[in-house]
Amino acid sequence: MSRTKQTLLALVVIASVVLAACGGGGGGGGKEAIKIGAIHDLTGPTSDVGTPYAEGLKAYVEWANANGGINGHPIELLSADYAYKVDQAEQLYSQYVQEGVVAFQGWGTGDTEALRSRIAEDKIPFMSASYSANLLDMEVAPYNFLIGTSYSDQGIIALQWAMEDWADSGNSGTPKVAFIHHDSPFGQSPIPDMQAFADANGIEFMTIAMPKATDFVAELAQIQQFGANYVIVHTVSSPAAVLVKDAKSQGMMDSVKFINLNWCADEIFINLAGDAAEGVYGAIPFTPPSDPVPGHEAPAQWLKEHGSTLEEKGLHFVQGWWTMAVMAEGIKRVLDAGQDVTGENIKAALESIQNFDTGGVTYPISFSPTSHRGNVALRLYQVQNGQWVRISDYIQAP
Amino acid sequence: MQSGIFHTSYEKDMALRRTHAQKIRLVILIVLGLVFPFIANRYYLTLANQVGIAIIGAIGLNILVGYTGQISLGQGGFMAVGAYTAGILTARLGMPWWASTIVACIVTAMIGTIFGIPSLRLKGLYLAIATLAAQEIILWIVTHWKTLTGGVEALVVPDPMLFGIRMNNDFNFYWLVWGLVVVVTILTVNLFRTRFGRAFIAIRDQDIAASVMGVDLFKYKLLAFAISSFWVGLAGALIAHYRNIVTWERFTIDVSVLYLAMIIIGGLGSVTGSYLGAAFMMLLPAVLTNIGRAVKGFFPAIDSIIPFIQQATFGLVIILFLVFEPEGLNKIWKDIKDYFRLWPFSY
Repeated sequence: MSRTKQTLLALVVIASVVLAACGGGGGGGGKEAIKIGAIHDLTGPTSDVGTPYAEGLKAYVEWANANGGINGHPIELLSADYAYKVDQAEQLYSQYVQEGVVAFQGWGTGDTEALRSRIAEDKIPFMSASYSANLLDMEVAPYNFLIGTSYSDQGIIALQWAMEDWADSGNSGTPKVAFIHHDSPFGQSPIPDMQAFADANGIEFMTIAMPKATDFVAELAQIQQFGANYVIVHTVSSPAAVLVKDAKSQGMMDSVKFINLNWCADEIFINLAGDAAEGVYGAIPFTPPSDPVPGHEAPAQWLKEHGSTLEEKGLHFVQGWWTMAVMAEGIKRVLDAGQDVTGENIKAALESIQNFDTGGVTYPISFSPTSHRGNVALRLYQVQNGQWVRISDYIQAP
Repeated sequence: MQSGIFHTSYEKDMALRRTHAQKIRLVILIVLGLVFPFIANRYYLTLANQVGIAIIGAIGLNILVGYTGQISLGQGGFMAVGAYTAGILTARLGMPWWASTIVACIVTAMIGTIFGIPSLRLKGLYLAIATLAAQEIILWIVTHWKTLTGGVEALVVPDPMLFGIRMNNDFNFYWLVWGLVVVVTILTVNLFRTRFGRAFIAIRDQDIAASVMGVDLFKYKLLAFAISSFWVGLAGALIAHYRNIVTWERFTIDVSVLYLAMIIIGGLGSVTGSYLGAAFMMLLPAVLTNIGRAVKGFFPAIDSIIPFIQQATFGLVIILFLVFEPEGLNKIWKDIKDYFRLWPFSY
């Protein structure tokens, strides 16, 4: 064994021992800190939207702490990147639970599904940016809370709007609707509920999965052959941008209306799709910065103080901010009632929230002991001159 | 002063533990393993359990890739077969978890054998592509055969109970998974003292020569796929029972690559290497995260780029290990042992 090898080895061993022993700490001063765990995707496959969402979560915590915390208790956010890897999500989750977090902010479908039985066991209220209706089953996911409109509700709202728009445009009968989706549980989850709604209302409905491809010309040809009047798109921004670009080059944009569900209706989609985005509709549960509402003021102010703007960060920042705000509201109610800040009490407090006002960022949030479907309505937007412009009032899923 | 280890009989040469030092180390390791769960908190137990499952999966893959020389990119898919078989049998048919685990191993072994058939005609990179197809086909079936796997919905598996004790809390599961690690290790180490194991190694070193010497390539290549997949299926089934929930996102191509990385970094064709590689790849992200947290305390300004540094470090550490020791962690371990055996008179 050569000397360089020995040195290298010794360095690695020492570094890992010393640094593994570090970590933790924090807190101190004033009232006891309330620990909340969070995992972010900052480097993984969903980091394009995961990063602003994570920044929003963290910014809310900093903002709240600068404004007296929750009833004087500072929030201590324990968070790290997990690169959308389920194993790492589990490692971080158990580490933070070990360190005493009372609530948890997840991110994607993968980690939310993988952790849901453990969070129920550990009694840790959990919010994430996965709005799959599967998480509403109180039997298997009693500690999951949904802040966004569920994918099923989004799909049904889009279908309902398509029906109304069809009638308003002077057509008779019902429209033909195609649903093109990400080929994953995330993409597939709203299909059964949308199919049931379409069948009940006599809508001719087709679904098609988006393959991993560089273009979607073949899928668009299928949609054209079906004769769709509306296409509901449920994927993430970059494939959605490719899809509408292809549709534009095929000359479909005049005869077919595209409605993007929330994960492909953001500023990233507009930037990527460029001209092709014009006229595309979006089912958006979190009001984008292009449509100012009172709920944008605090995050905008905070960003201004930190040398950025809300326009730059986009609607996912707002989404992260207000998701954390709802969780903080639950904790505040526990403190107001003079109870111990435990997962169980936070769950009960969150379940008491009725019509919580997010400053117009979302439809008022309500939970109950029998339903964690916090958000039941959203507004439709349309891309006009490179901006999301509001075109409807809140539409509620039946 | 000895200058190496020399055996004077075949019995000694074939023994699993050849030196006194090895026996002492084994005893120390066993004692540490027995004491660990009583002093560790839940976080360390979670890590230990993840490492234990990874070791079983890595040993399985090493039998195929390291010992028999058949490259496989289907690891994630085969783990999915194990996890879904165990999950479906327990959740839908009410089969006890231990029974469903055994069936899952057998089913995975069968599926592995089927996907091993191309290995009779294909070698090297061509086989890698064929097993990559296995990965994609299995995951496609898992996500699209809704009536069987639940498709879009994660499959929820009931708690594994043994004599009224819940086996999947971190403490109890530790005993289960590490008990199985010991069983898998003993069986695998002994496998390579039999004609089967020697046939695998002969195929790896030169398949034509092996064939000339009378090794039935058809039989032994498929057997290697079967035995390898059996252990991989066990790792998958353990994940299902540990987490009570099976989702397809846990078994993507990333997992196949991760396990290949484990055995390459640990050491191909070595059970100890599988241990070291699995521990290294599962613990490095945790170590880096904690380093990141510590660094954040000193330099809050670079908070936002720490995740990227972590990712880069992850890659860098792997490259450095391979540059300085292409034969993996196992070789480093051997070098350390050799150094200290002759210490302080090493030459």
